[in-house]
Amino acid sequence: MRLENGIAIKASQLSQSFRRADGQLVDALSSVNFEVLKGQFVCLIGPSGCGKTTLLQIIAGLLLPSSGILEVGNQVVTRPSPERGMVFQKDSVFPWMRVINNVEYGLACRGVGSGERRAIAEHYLERVGLAHVARAWPRELSGGMLKRVAVATVFANGASVLLLDEPFGALDYVTKRHLHNVLLTLWAETGRNKPRTVLFVTHDVDEALILADRILVFHTGRIVDDLALVAPRPRTTDTLLMPQMVQNKHLLLAHLGLETKQAGTGATSSIVRAAND
Amino acid sequence: MGRKSRRRGILRIDPVGIFGVFLLIMIWQALTLALPPSSLPTPSSVVARIGRDFIRAEELSFYGLADTGLLNSMIYTATNVMIAVALGSLVGTIAGFVTARFHNVRAILDPIVMTMGTIPILVLAPFFLIWFGVERMSAVLLVVLYVAVILYIFAQRAADNLDPVYEEYAYTLGASSKRIVWDILIPGTVPQVLGGIRIALAGAWGLEAIAELLGAQYGIGKIIQVLAGATDVQGIFAALIVLGLVAVISDGLAALVFAHVAAWSAAARPGGN
Amino acid sequence: MTEVRAFFRRHGVSIIVLGVMAAIWQILSLLYTTEAVPGEPMIPGWQVVFTRTLISLSDYWQGGLGVPSVAEGAPPSYTAALLAIVSNSLDTMVRLYLGLLIGGLVGTFLGLAVSWSKWSRRTVELPLQFIRTLPLLAMVPLFQLWFGIYFAGKVAFVAYGVGVIFFAGVVNAVKNVPQVYIDNARTQGANRVQLYLTIILPSIFPELRATILLSLGTAWGAVLGAEYLGAQSGLGYIIVYSEAFAYLDRMFVVALLFVFYASISYAIFNRLSLKLLQWMPRVGRVIVVG
Repeated sequence: MRLENGIAIKASQLSQSFRRADGQLVDALSSVNFEVLKGQFVCLIGPSGCGKTTLLQIIAGLLLPSSGILEVGNQVVTRPSPERGMVFQKDSVFPWMRVINNVEYGLACRGVGSGERRAIAEHYLERVGLAHVARAWPRELSGGMLKRVAVATVFANGASVLLLDEPFGALDYVTKRHLHNVLLTLWAETGRNKPRTVLFVTHDVDEALILADRILVFHTGRIVDDLALVAPRPRTTDTLLMPQMVQNKHLLLAHLGLETKQAGTGATSSIVRAAND
Repeated sequence: MGRKSRRRGILRIDPVGIFGVFLLIMIWQALTLALPPSSLPTPSSVVARIGRDFIRAEELSFYGLADTGLLNSMIYTATNVMIAVALGSLVGTIAGFVTARFHNVRAILDPIVMTMGTIPILVLAPFFLIWFGVERMSAVLLVVLYVAVILYIFAQRAADNLDPVYEEYAYTLGASSKRIVWDILIPGTVPQVLGGIRIALAGAWGLEAIAELLGAQYGIGKIIQVLAGATDVQGIFAALIVLGLVAVISDGLAALVFAHVAAWSAAARPGGN
Repeated sequence: MTEVRAFFRRHGVSIIVLGVMAAIWQILSLLYTTEAVPGEPMIPGWQVVFTRTLISLSDYWQGGLGVPSVAEGAPPSYTAALLAIVSNSLDTMVRLYLGLLIGGLVGTFLGLAVSWSKWSRRTVELPLQFIRTLPLLAMVPLFQLWFGIYFAGKVAFVAYGVGVIFFAGVVNAVKNVPQVYIDNARTQGANRVQLYLTIILPSIFPELRATILLSLGTAWGAVLGAEYLGAQSGLGYIIVYSEAFAYLDRMFVVALLFVFYASISYAIFNRLSLKLLQWMPRVGRVIVVG
């Protein structure tokens, strides 16, 4: 439906195995294939230990796959690049730098002039609502604020692919909802002139339904389902109650083992679809 | 910096590390080519010397230390260290626990121990030699004091850091104070206390040795002192390596035992520093 | 005035305890009057210290600056005693701080160099573990045979003891840098050098703080041990020299001086490092036994 150069990320026969502490070989990813279009917001969902984080690390270039090829923007990924920004599950804000220095860190690494990078950093801090703590130490911030700093940082760096690894998993409900709005606003507006592709790992079904254009379901290192969400944005509580969203929710819960597979006819068909892949 | 470098097993020795030890010995061997044997003996000559001096050292009797060898000197030194570490640990741990729970005692003991903690205990050695003589007593007391101060700090900190929720929970279950000490306080602090004992043990060997160097009749330190008087570098190397090996082995054994005792704790990994 | 009051509020208990310890010393000296050799009490009371001990330290003034030494036939004087204290303290401190500086720099450099690759780190870890466990203080005679009993021998010994601690401390600290910080910096485009300067160095500093304190304790012990076992000057030299004559009062005064200097060095370091580590959550004082 789009041109070939509209593809942002392409994984071909991607596999990754680890040797566990007890010496046993474990497959984190086995022969994963998928393509992600430019500007798409994709959520990766699945139970713990199903290989989602491993996939993100491979895309970031932090981990080389055991076999298979991963391309971003028609280039094979072998190392990290500021083109692929990441928000980590753990707190990754450097505690020895003030908030503003954290946000401009990547720009400083690439030699952007101090005036310019300060302006960019201040802009994004403003956008995530943290302009007032620019000079604070990270230790003075709450967990939710630290995540805002991480989001500001990844946008300030101007990456075209954003990788978010359960970024809001440890936050309370209200903070999480606020951050969803911040993230979606920033994603939507910069998307006009330079589309930003987002890969967002989560195991929260509602979070995926609110955020995603598309949901990839992982199970034991494989993609077992691929759902397109066509519901309009901004999504509200009412959007989530639309029949197709409810059906998708049942489907996802079934994949996570929380509901039996007979919940909807869609579930059965999608499993057949995955098996045919 | 490797992603997978953090796996740990019970005392699993890294084969790359064995290569490192081999490399160290090769460097030593290479240095002997540049330096005279009177400054740096070859590794093989030191090993031979250890074998020769192990039971009875001929050279030592020339230097006025009759009928002794590395083995029984090492036993003397090791006995002192073990007695001192056991005694010092007991005193220090009890004092640490008491001060962690009774604030009046703490107000008095803390300044004293903190002062002791910042001074090199070694400064007391000459006093002890005059007060208690050159027998076992002086060296053992010195090490006891050193160990007790470390354990006081470790035990107190461990008891401070023990989440009060465990003790409160035990009280709600109807436990007596005595039971709480045995069932909560001691098991809950055991990893840190054992870690402290391991640190104290490591430092104890050097302190005992220098106490013997300063004035003693027996011990590995006495041997080193006599050999130093005769500028016998090969002999000193032999004695130091025996002492070092015993220190390394005792540390490894302690790590193994402690890992077993505090198996539930992440702090009790052997090899963890 | 308020500053004085604040000082007492903070250190009041310590001051009282120190006073009580001084009083107990005095009481012990009155109760236990045995003499080590005739005229030299086993426990010299403060009256001894303040009458004859201070001036007797002029024995350790080696002459110069227009103040003749006792060895040259001059009578003991407070000027000579003061000069003796100052010059011997300086000797000890120069040996200590020079050794600390050299050992710290060399150890840190080697530790960082070895941490550059996983393989070099793994190669040194085991031998380093062994070298670190070798009892340092037992090695004084070896360093004296190698570097002599004068200045170089002491500095080399302190530098070795400190260097080993720094080497091991840096290797371990780099290993413990949270992977997420390194990953984060790499995804933002940091190269190897930037990674070292902006991530590894600052994040190992909290752990290095404990290393520095540990090495400070080791350095004081090492310089004392080295001076005990052969020196011509320095506080440790005065202590063992006095021990030979059972001058317990002189030993007592010099030991107190030594303790005072060591405590001051800890206090200064604690101040400095707290300033440097203001970004860290909850920095407590670290106490190290030496």
